[in-house]
Amino acid sequence: MPRSSWLEQTLWMLAAPALALALTVLVALPSGAPPLQTLQVLLLGGLGSMSKFGQVLTVFVPLMLCSAGLLVPFTARLWNIGIEGQVVLGAIFCTGALMPFDQGGPAHVVLALGAGMLGGALWALLAGLLKTWGRVHEIFSGLGLNFVAMGLTIWLIFGPWKRPGVASMSGTETLDVSLWLDRMGRLASSWTALALAAAALLLVAVLLTRTQWGLGLKAVGQNPKAARLFDLSPRRRMLQAFALCGALGGLAGAVQVLGVYHRLLPSISSGYGYTALLVGMMASFRILPVPFICLFFAVLNVGSIQLPLQLNLDSSLSGVIQGLMVLSVFVTQGLRAWVTRRREGC
Amino acid sequence: MIVLTDIAKQYGRVRANDSISLTLEPGRIYALVGENGAGKSTLMRILAGHTVPDSGTIAVRGASHARLTPALAASLGVGMLYQDPLDFPALPVWENFRLGGTARTRTEVIDKLGELSNHLGVCFLPGEAIASLTVGERQLLELLRLLDLGATTLILDEPTTGITPEQKRSLFGLLTRLAREENHTVVLVTHKLSEALEMADAIFVMRQGRLVSTLETPCGEDELVRLMFGEAVDRAGDVPPVSAPQTRRMVLDRAVFAGPKYHLGPLNIAAAPGEMIGLAGLDGSGQELFLRGLCGLDRLAEGGLELDGRRFERNDFKTLHKAGVHFVPADRMSQALFPDLSIREHILLAFPDQAGRLEDFRREQCEGRFNLRAHPDTPAKSLSGGNQQRLLLSLIPDGAPLLLMEHPTRGLDAGSSLQVWEHLRERCRDGATIFFFSPDLDEVIEHSHRVLVFYDRMLVADVPRAQATVETLGALMAGKNLEAWHAA
Repeated sequence: MPRSSWLEQTLWMLAAPALALALTVLVALPSGAPPLQTLQVLLLGGLGSMSKFGQVLTVFVPLMLCSAGLLVPFTARLWNIGIEGQVVLGAIFCTGALMPFDQGGPAHVVLALGAGMLGGALWALLAGLLKTWGRVHEIFSGLGLNFVAMGLTIWLIFGPWKRPGVASMSGTETLDVSLWLDRMGRLASSWTALALAAAALLLVAVLLTRTQWGLGLKAVGQNPKAARLFDLSPRRRMLQAFALCGALGGLAGAVQVLGVYHRLLPSISSGYGYTALLVGMMASFRILPVPFICLFFAVLNVGSIQLPLQLNLDSSLSGVIQGLMVLSVFVTQGLRAWVTRRREGC
Repeated sequence: MIVLTDIAKQYGRVRANDSISLTLEPGRIYALVGENGAGKSTLMRILAGHTVPDSGTIAVRGASHARLTPALAASLGVGMLYQDPLDFPALPVWENFRLGGTARTRTEVIDKLGELSNHLGVCFLPGEAIASLTVGERQLLELLRLLDLGATTLILDEPTTGITPEQKRSLFGLLTRLAREENHTVVLVTHKLSEALEMADAIFVMRQGRLVSTLETPCGEDELVRLMFGEAVDRAGDVPPVSAPQTRRMVLDRAVFAGPKYHLGPLNIAAAPGEMIGLAGLDGSGQELFLRGLCGLDRLAEGGLELDGRRFERNDFKTLHKAGVHFVPADRMSQALFPDLSIREHILLAFPDQAGRLEDFRREQCEGRFNLRAHPDTPAKSLSGGNQQRLLLSLIPDGAPLLLMEHPTRGLDAGSSLQVWEHLRERCRDGATIFFFSPDLDEVIEHSHRVLVFYDRMLVADVPRAQATVETLGALMAGKNLEAWHAA
């Protein structure tokens, strides 16, 4: 029986960050960067001042929305890699919904957010239908649809939605200020966005742990054949899971448009969909650690902007660290399982 | 000569083998009998080098070993034939035969295979794919392969499951020749006492990890039963009579079921409430599709299905499920249960309308009726086979009119099997109609009012209880006497 002591549990928990730290130092060393200072710059770059923290929150919100969304299909053991494209489609639908309006008010913002959710949900349903009726694995269809979504954005920006006179990578015409999300004082983030992220997490948590629907979804993930015998309509449930996740991804895209860039850009998703997948993996798709990991990753993302300025390092180091953290979690988990097995002597 | 001394193996708190000592002499046939979980397989796996014992020694021809590896065991001449042949269905016969042996050309392999087959009086086409052989033939091939590798001690784990009575006779004949003429040692692991009594020179009886006795044959069956189970086991009584044999619970009218690989039908069958109908057939003979089609998992391509007077042109799973048709597959963990969900969650999924009084309902359903005493938070994957089946049965609502059971006692010990059958009979008495399949003909005969025999993806006979004997059914299952049967 694996009944390890409190001390042992803690040691295992600390093993993952320690390993990640060691690996990061190993990666940073060849480029001549002092390891401790690199970490310091990363953390202070994200938490050093209120305005930096505001930026952290603008990263946190879409990351949180995507991660919360991903928990839903994963409960049914579905890997919604297509989340990235769903964010993009959310942004496209959101921009499209506001096209007819030069200015507006809260009603228009709500409409745009709703349109974003619809766009994401529809794009996710596409992957879902291919999975449930077309026997296409959701990872392949999702990845494919991500590229289609990227192509679609670029076509829109350089084609139908180009700025009068100039078509450039800098995106569509900027929205009127009346269509922007509110601001937290002088910070870059918005209360509405933060509230949406919190609500999404709460909704997903309640749905997955407190409802019959969530239990059914878990059952579908555990054993689709048995789910059929229990009359749980596995296909319908999978589609619902895709749609819900897509809607949250789309909402993230809409927040990017309304609250951050105020227009449609080619790289509107900033790769948050993929980062959210890392968050989910690192949390082993449990709900509780997700907001903390999201916050941590957001700090790393914002902090890494300082790397080229202060240490002449490339800002992609934050991505490297995030990847290493996930790897470390897996390695220590595997190691722990192996040690336990050895001790039981099977 | 192989001498096992004080072999012990513990899994967690379970003593799978508790200081077992036995001697295997060349030229003799041994049977190792015991219930499921008695420790037979563990002991044989230790002998074949797949499991490392906690303590004890294994002495082969005087050389003593604390543990064996599969390679070492093979070089010492120990060969094991598993219940499901460990072969590669996609490869042809000769390539399977070559596996594990020294590098040889195709011609050499085929010559050797021919020589061995000839010697032992069997026949194989070297180029044929394994997938097209029967289980019995695959076992024989595996046996030849082991002999070719130099095996002199042959361990056979439940070798008669899934083969015809005739194949069983030829297998037993072959084993007897190997022991008597070639001086090989044969160990037959089985839970069928008749086979042990028929074949063995000596019978090892295991119970709860211990070797309780070594009997020299001939010996009485009663004594063997007493040793195996510890106390007198009640045999289930006779099947209860069908109360209203003229009523029609379920009717198949020229029904054709379309599976992924083949069609079955047209079928014309009627069943009365309270009737227990056994299905007999070798693997893949059509009985699987019959059960899956009846519950709507496979399509009804033509014809109609009638349930309590209501006619269905389509066998939609949802509709039939609501009408009370329940299917329990043989492979419980991979097809019918959710490994990480608890007993309570299973109950909640099966009876969503009981959510308000879940705990009381669970207690009535699981503990009251089935004596399923595991904690309600236990995940399904930690339940024993018996408890898994108890859980599945308790998920079927009372009064469900049609139950379709695929090998209801698979992997269960005698006590649990008896409980399952008593429960199923109880349901029949209350008016349920039950179709069940079992690869064990004795079980089919014991519990059915009549037996449907499947052969070559067809329903070939509907045998009433009075005529259902192992010989009749065995012949029909092998496609023999079909004309004679239909003429009679």
